Amino acid sequence: MVDVGTTLEMVQASQVGLKAVGAGLAVGLAGVGTGLGEMGIGAAAVGATAENRDMFGLALLFTVIPETIVIFGLVVALLLLF
Amino acid sequence: MLRPERMRRLLIAAPKSELDTIIRELYRHNVYHIEDFVPESSPGALSIGHPLPEASDAASALIKVRAIENACGIDPENVEVKAKLPASKVREMIRKDLPVIQKETEDLVGSRSKLEARQKEHEQRARELEPFTAVPLDLEFYRGYTRFTVFTGHIAHDVEIDVPNEKYFSDKVAGNIIVVVVQNEHREQVERTLLDAGFQAIPVPEETGAPADRLKAHLEEARRIEGEVAAINGKIAGIREKHTDFLVACDELLTADVERAEAPLRFATTEETFLTEGWIPERIFEEVKEALVRVTGGKIYLEELEIEHSDAVPVKYDNPSFARPSQMFMDLYSRPQYAEIDPTLMVSIVFPIFFGMILGDVGYGLILLALSLGLRKFFKAGDGRLLLISLRNASIVSIIFGVLYSEIIGYSLPWAPIIYSRHLNIGGHAAEHGAQVAELLIVSIWIGILHITLGRILGMINARNLYHGKHATQAILSNAGWLGVMWGIILMIWSMYAIPLMPDLSWLPAVVMGFNPATVVGAVLLVGGIIAIAQENVLEVIEIPTIISHVLSYARLAAVGLSSVAIAMVVNYIAIELMISPQLENLSAVGVVIIIVGIIVFLLGHVLNTALGILGGGLNSIRLHYVEFFTKFYKGGGKRYNPFGMESKFTEE
Repeated sequence: MVDVGTTLEMVQASQVGLKAVGAGLAVGLAGVGTGLGEMGIGAAAVGATAENRDMFGLALLFTVIPETIVIFGLVVALLLLF
Repeated sequence: MLRPERMRRLLIAAPKSELDTIIRELYRHNVYHIEDFVPESSPGALSIGHPLPEASDAASALIKVRAIENACGIDPENVEVKAKLPASKVREMIRKDLPVIQKETEDLVGSRSKLEARQKEHEQRARELEPFTAVPLDLEFYRGYTRFTVFTGHIAHDVEIDVPNEKYFSDKVAGNIIVVVVQNEHREQVERTLLDAGFQAIPVPEETGAPADRLKAHLEEARRIEGEVAAINGKIAGIREKHTDFLVACDELLTADVERAEAPLRFATTEETFLTEGWIPERIFEEVKEALVRVTGGKIYLEELEIEHSDAVPVKYDNPSFARPSQMFMDLYSRPQYAEIDPTLMVSIVFPIFFGMILGDVGYGLILLALSLGLRKFFKAGDGRLLLISLRNASIVSIIFGVLYSEIIGYSLPWAPIIYSRHLNIGGHAAEHGAQVAELLIVSIWIGILHITLGRILGMINARNLYHGKHATQAILSNAGWLGVMWGIILMIWSMYAIPLMPDLSWLPAVVMGFNPATVVGAVLLVGGIIAIAQENVLEVIEIPTIISHVLSYARLAAVGLSSVAIAMVVNYIAIELMISPQLENLSAVGVVIIIVGIIVFLLGHVLNTALGILGGGLNSIRLHYVEFFTKFYKGGGKRYNPFGMESKFTEE
């Protein structure tokens, strides 16, 4: 189904646009995933740290584990764009 | 350097007559970590010692000093040392001057709290009077009627009352006010009408005269008292000015007295003797032993005890001075155990490099450098100070990377990037090369591979130090297995795909089943590695995917940095190119406003990006250490070395 009015330039432009949309989705969805992951961990980590100050290091460690997901999203987005 | 300081365990036994001398000598050296004595309940066992007789006097004097410090707002942590006072002089002053200062402060604080209570009372009265200022009626006319009832209160809106009444409504005060006077027999009916309109009764203040005058009088009184309180605060500030040095010296001296006097509570005693065990760093062990023998004239028994594997040896860091601020990062995570490698030195070198790689901007680096130097005034000691020193080092490295990347708050410096370019194409003008994103990502993956390999090698060394016999061999093999799996996967990838900046092994001729030698070696490493991991603990095998996620996690070194560059460039584009430059070309009145908005956008954007830079750079770098690096080898959970004694800051013997 090729529209008669579609020119090569328009196709190229929309390809670039879709790439940008894809990059945005990669970062955004990965961010949502990280947020969901950190939600529960963060709450528990704050609780544990309030109980025992020494837990802080371990609690921070657990909290940032899902961070990797958003970095993957960012890497994919960068590779898409460049 | 890579291990905590070596310790020796010492047993001291002496007659009780030498107790005071020995405690003083140990306190003076400030190196003896006391192992608290835990009494057993069996009969005839050793019992806990009693505090020295001067304990209670010193403690009560210390409470006084702390109370004065508290009242004057003195924090010994943040007081700068001017001159050390001799201890004898301070003791003299504690006897003579302290009671005077205490009386003075107590009186001032007492009268201040009385005044403050009165001020509150007047303010409360003023608040109560406020609604009545809207009604032109003196306060005494609201009460004292036998045949009439007076309603006063807030109401949502004016109401009509269908019995004979006198009514006044005003909406000039918050919540409106209504005053209704009716005969007693209509009281309930009127009350219902009012309540239907949202009436809330407020009591009439027990005063006489015009409400507005009374309100003014109360406010004036409150203001006058405020002035008096300010005068008292001035006097307290005067005491602080005059006596800070003396008070902090007292605090220090008495704290030392109390600690010394209470030390026997941590010792074991018999009728005539006492025993104590503790830890002393190896390098001064002999010196302390000799000093103890000398002061007691030989009336002491000293024995060095064997360190057993199960002993919780106190851990004292042993690092060169530039690495010391990083000890804070270690303590935040967990102090190393005595037997394991102390990675502080590696953290202190690698953390600033990671930070610099991520931030990598001359402008932001200079801002952070100024911030870390400027805030030093507010953090004189403690973790805050160490954090500032770490930030300073990190920002210096950021400036160096900024020069290499050729970046200054999102603009390029007059030279081309010396290493890979991070200049993104934002606003339509690409720099000569554009950003070399793929190269940057691969370099950060390389850093990850090397960092994790280093971690695993340290893991093998730690396994040898921490465990014994079969367990040690298993742990070493398992660490080697993890390395094997990682490098096996890497070799297999290299043998199949040509990746820039990485060895290309895909051209090698096929030998077995169409695979080239590198693939075969990689597969062997992978399988061997999995077996080596499984022999220690089969469950560990499910962790194998973390190898890939941990290595790829280092991509954040490039990715987070690029996002901060992007924010800086977008801010510049919006503020300068879209708002400021077009208006500067043909200046108009509206243009000036837009330029000002542009400047605000520019400043806010870069402040935000600086904050993100600290968070992104700092948290991600430290996280790479905590999560990706330490999990490979680090156990932690060491006991903090806490010597008996004190560095005297304000006094000298």
